[in-house]
Amino acid sequence: MSRRFIVEPRGLAPWWLKLLIPIGSVIAAMILGGVFLVITGNDWIEVYQKMADAAFGSGRGFAETLVSATPLILTGVAAAIAFKMLVWNIGGEGQLIFGAVVAAGVGIWLADSTPQVIAIVAVVIAGAIGGAFWASLAAVPKVYLGTNEIITTLMLNFIALNFMQYLVLGSSSPWRDPEATQFPQGRPIVESGRIPEFFHRLDWGLFIAIGVAVIAWFVISKTRSGFEYRIVGDSFDAARYAGIKVPKKVLGTFLASGAAAGLAGSILVAGILGKMDPRSLDLGLGFTGIIVAALARLNPIAIIPVAILMGALNNAGPALQSIGVPSATVKILQGAILIFAVAGEFLISNRIHRPDPIAGEAKAEPEAQAA
Amino acid sequence: MPNADQSRTPPAVELRKIDKSFYGVLANADVDFNLARGEVHTLLGENGAGKSTLCSVMAGLYRPDSGEMLMDGEPIVLKSPKHALAAGIGMVYQHFRLVSNLTVAENLALGNPEVGLRLSQSELEAEARELGERYDFPVDPTARIWQLSVGQQQRVEILKLLYRDVRILILDEPTAVLTPQEGQALFRAMRTLADEGRSLIFVSHKLHEVKQVSDRVTVLREGRVVGNVDTADAEPRDLARMMVGKDLVLPTRAPNESIGEPVLVVDNLTVTDDRGLDAVDDLSITVNAGEVVGIAGVSGNGQRELAQGIVGLMKVTGGSVHLSGKDITGTSPLKSIKAGIAYVPQSRLGMGLAPGLDTEDNLALKQFREPPYSNGPMLSPKAFKAKGAELIEEFDVRGVRPGLPIRLLSGGNLQKALIAREVTQDHCVLIARSPTRGLDVGATAVVRDQILAERDRGVAVLLISEDLDELLALSDRLLVIYEGKIVGEMPASDATAERLGLLMSGHTEEQSA
Amino acid sequence: MNESVLMLTLMAGIGLGTPLVFGTVGEILTERSGILNLGVQGMMLFGAVMGFWATFVSGSLWLGVLAALLGGAGMSLIHAFNSVTLRVSQIVSGLALTIFGTGVAVYIGKAGSDPLIGQPSKAVFEPIFPEALTDVPIVGPLIFGHDALIYLSWAIVAAASYYLFHTRPGLTVRAVGEDPASAEAAGINVSKVRYIHVMLGGALAGIGGAYFSLALVPSWQDNPIGQAGWIAIALVILASWRPWRALWVAYLFGIAGRLNFTFQTLEINVPATLLDMLPFLLAIIAMIVLTSGKRAKFLGAPAALGIPYYREER
Repeated sequence: MSRRFIVEPRGLAPWWLKLLIPIGSVIAAMILGGVFLVITGNDWIEVYQKMADAAFGSGRGFAETLVSATPLILTGVAAAIAFKMLVWNIGGEGQLIFGAVVAAGVGIWLADSTPQVIAIVAVVIAGAIGGAFWASLAAVPKVYLGTNEIITTLMLNFIALNFMQYLVLGSSSPWRDPEATQFPQGRPIVESGRIPEFFHRLDWGLFIAIGVAVIAWFVISKTRSGFEYRIVGDSFDAARYAGIKVPKKVLGTFLASGAAAGLAGSILVAGILGKMDPRSLDLGLGFTGIIVAALARLNPIAIIPVAILMGALNNAGPALQSIGVPSATVKILQGAILIFAVAGEFLISNRIHRPDPIAGEAKAEPEAQAA
Repeated sequence: MPNADQSRTPPAVELRKIDKSFYGVLANADVDFNLARGEVHTLLGENGAGKSTLCSVMAGLYRPDSGEMLMDGEPIVLKSPKHALAAGIGMVYQHFRLVSNLTVAENLALGNPEVGLRLSQSELEAEARELGERYDFPVDPTARIWQLSVGQQQRVEILKLLYRDVRILILDEPTAVLTPQEGQALFRAMRTLADEGRSLIFVSHKLHEVKQVSDRVTVLREGRVVGNVDTADAEPRDLARMMVGKDLVLPTRAPNESIGEPVLVVDNLTVTDDRGLDAVDDLSITVNAGEVVGIAGVSGNGQRELAQGIVGLMKVTGGSVHLSGKDITGTSPLKSIKAGIAYVPQSRLGMGLAPGLDTEDNLALKQFREPPYSNGPMLSPKAFKAKGAELIEEFDVRGVRPGLPIRLLSGGNLQKALIAREVTQDHCVLIARSPTRGLDVGATAVVRDQILAERDRGVAVLLISEDLDELLALSDRLLVIYEGKIVGEMPASDATAERLGLLMSGHTEEQSA
Repeated sequence: MNESVLMLTLMAGIGLGTPLVFGTVGEILTERSGILNLGVQGMMLFGAVMGFWATFVSGSLWLGVLAALLGGAGMSLIHAFNSVTLRVSQIVSGLALTIFGTGVAVYIGKAGSDPLIGQPSKAVFEPIFPEALTDVPIVGPLIFGHDALIYLSWAIVAAASYYLFHTRPGLTVRAVGEDPASAEAAGINVSKVRYIHVMLGGALAGIGGAYFSLALVPSWQDNPIGQAGWIAIALVILASWRPWRALWVAYLFGIAGRLNFTFQTLEINVPATLLDMLPFLLAIIAMIVLTSGKRAKFLGAPAALGIPYYREER
């Protein structure tokens, strides 16, 4: 049984490796993207320069990058907190959309005279509730019937999308703007429900998103409930043994995940969009959130810079068209980053080395065998 | 009679000086073994005596470190279970290797090179039916495995081997999962197979079965062969003594004089397992303060269900559990922790510890809800560190690094950490299952000392173990569990290996007297 | 008769359902081996662009199909490597494939000085039998009125069904998807089986994608396939992992996709967006009603689906 390499589970991955894998993934993806660009006759240096310039080169550009990053922080947190507990909520997309539907509903229903603080809070919270409700459609069957949530959350994405389109494009619901005669549009929410901008198009929603990421980190690492969450995420049996009600915990996490994604929807509605606009809400923000979470290795704080990076890519896409390069370059890069990052997980959780020539294969004890 | 042939024809299988160790732990040492054609040969031994390893060597799953194997007098080196099957040796493992959502016929065909590319369900089914009828093993070939009882599934495993026409069948504790009636049917089939000239290896702990079904017995202890007798000449008490060993460590300490009031009182407890069987069957135990009550028994006789039923991890279907007079029947794990039941489960990483969390976190796994670990909804990282360091120091847990997942510690250190947590919480009862299983000498001593210290502190200790040395060294009173019932009780000072061995093998006191 | 609303709806339904047949049967083969590939959308879209491009360059439809097949299989190889060799999360890997495949397809369509986008296809799949046969009422068009890929899809459905349930290799696939440890104990190479079936799934998804760009909408657009890849994943459940059922449910949804138009003809007003919801809604209901707990076994969901397999080594 001579093998060229031995693969074995690793205990504690060194910190530099955990940093190197995401950065390496980005670099590897850029090289792969560069190959694509060169094959199709583009100047890859020019393209990457243009992207950097569009995303970070000016105040306005950077503001747009942060505008793009805001919902990604939230959908990233949504994916991360669920995945860490092995709840495969890939319905961030649908939860975001349904959050936007509920938020816009509240925003339209509110009277013009509602005080600004109350209106904003009402609209934003409504989105979180909407997202949690949409998640519950998959969470409740999972916890009480054992229904696999991967497929249900995935399908709920498309149901939410079609439902939103129906509200604006397919019916004359209250969400549809009666004044838009040319092409159907969402009805604007009350002016007092809008989150104010402070730097170009950037609004305070960014800080809500960052706040949510920080709260998620704080709850997980500093509170009793977060400790229970970590135990359940590690081992259901150990959690049961330690007296934790596992189904309740899983349900709670699933709903919190949905609420975070729903918040992304309400912040878009109350922020830059001002209405439920089906086209602007169907950008794959939920799926991109999964890339963000995977690249951040499910760490809520790391999600913030990663989301800014992804936001920068999204923001840079349209600028590429001005130099005749398809904006799909961005999608290639994002997909490739995720592929490399997910493959890199293997290197973080396993150690690969050549067989020890003397001890042969017998040395399989974990490294910390001290007693 | 098969024995008559032995002098003329070489044995079907012969093992010479087989050694096999795992990571330095010897599982088989210097084992000589021979299996005659047409005989049923029992391998007898306690848990961990090396029976399964020896069977796996013969089935091609493990390669021996040294020694040789002969079939019909010719040396053979088995490369894999597939190779062994081709050579005519097949094994029925304790955990069946059946695909539960496929039919009986499909499982027979799976991986079988003799089945053609085209799969004719009807032909397969006809063959399976015919095979089943020949050995009086009626199984519906169209049934899916999950629809069958455990006994029927075992028949499928055996049919799978017969379908491949193996000459040597190894059955690893086949009766452990069977009802007595199913067991009798199995024995009849085993006889039929032997009469056809096939050879069978039968692994068991149950002496009456050995007597009933086998021609010869080889007894293993601590990886070595300690006896080989014709069954006709063997007395159950001789076998029991051989199996358990004569050199039992007798308790060196004086029995505890200060036994107090009853603390844990279990009355007529019944716990139903996942298969719907009463794994714990109308069982009663009382454990007093300052007393260690040992429960001896071969694994799988209801030990897990007894412990989990008491602490609320499994549903109790009958009877009651009282703790210091308070009814806690059907409690929840959290309530049982709060009521003061400390529990050391058999599976350390599977249940007692969260494998991916670090040692400090694991030391707080149960008490994190109370000060100093938490303060209202907030955790106190300082307390985690301070209490962690204190326990790590006091219980000599080595190899700990902050952030290092606890699963990377050695078995002894895992157990020390687990015990440290359990005995330092507020408790009046300690339930421990096989607490020294797999530990080295040093760690074993630490764990045993802790259990005796618990007793001296007035805790009621329920020690459930398969290790007689451990039970005799620690217990004040010994009970024997067999098929979910207590079948014998004695002060530890009256226990003999022979008496325990008989009781654990299902011989009641009256039978053995 | 053959021009009736019903007939037109049926014929269009079969056409619209055909890419779903390819995608669904492919994903059935993959999932039967225990691997969940959420990258169907990406593989289909990549197949669509590869097929269109190869036909555009060569003028040959079958070279287009071959390119689509190889493209889909090549994409799926990434997923096979991630999920079988590296054993990382199949869910994240599948999603990555979808994002990557979508990006690459859209990029290829727009790249170069004379991009594919907006171009009509150089060749189009058309009915292969003479018109005389299709003039026979009802059965004429239903049996003889189709292009070669539709007949290929029928052959693939029949072959896949026979393979899975009536051959020894098919039994092996099912065993690997149910219980890889037991399969391994029976001497089966689990990794090999999984690689092969992930790639078969990718190849079929690729052909399904090419059916859009070479038959249904024979010109290149950014996304000619809509949400077909995702629908295929839903249909796998509704087909309960069985190829023949995949054919029927795919046609059912092809017809549902066409109903919108039919309803307009009949002056019935049902919003298109609500009809589009239907496959997903039915898949969820099927999921909850049929696959919860022990009922999953009756349905046929492979027990080891999505779970990385580690060999027992000692």
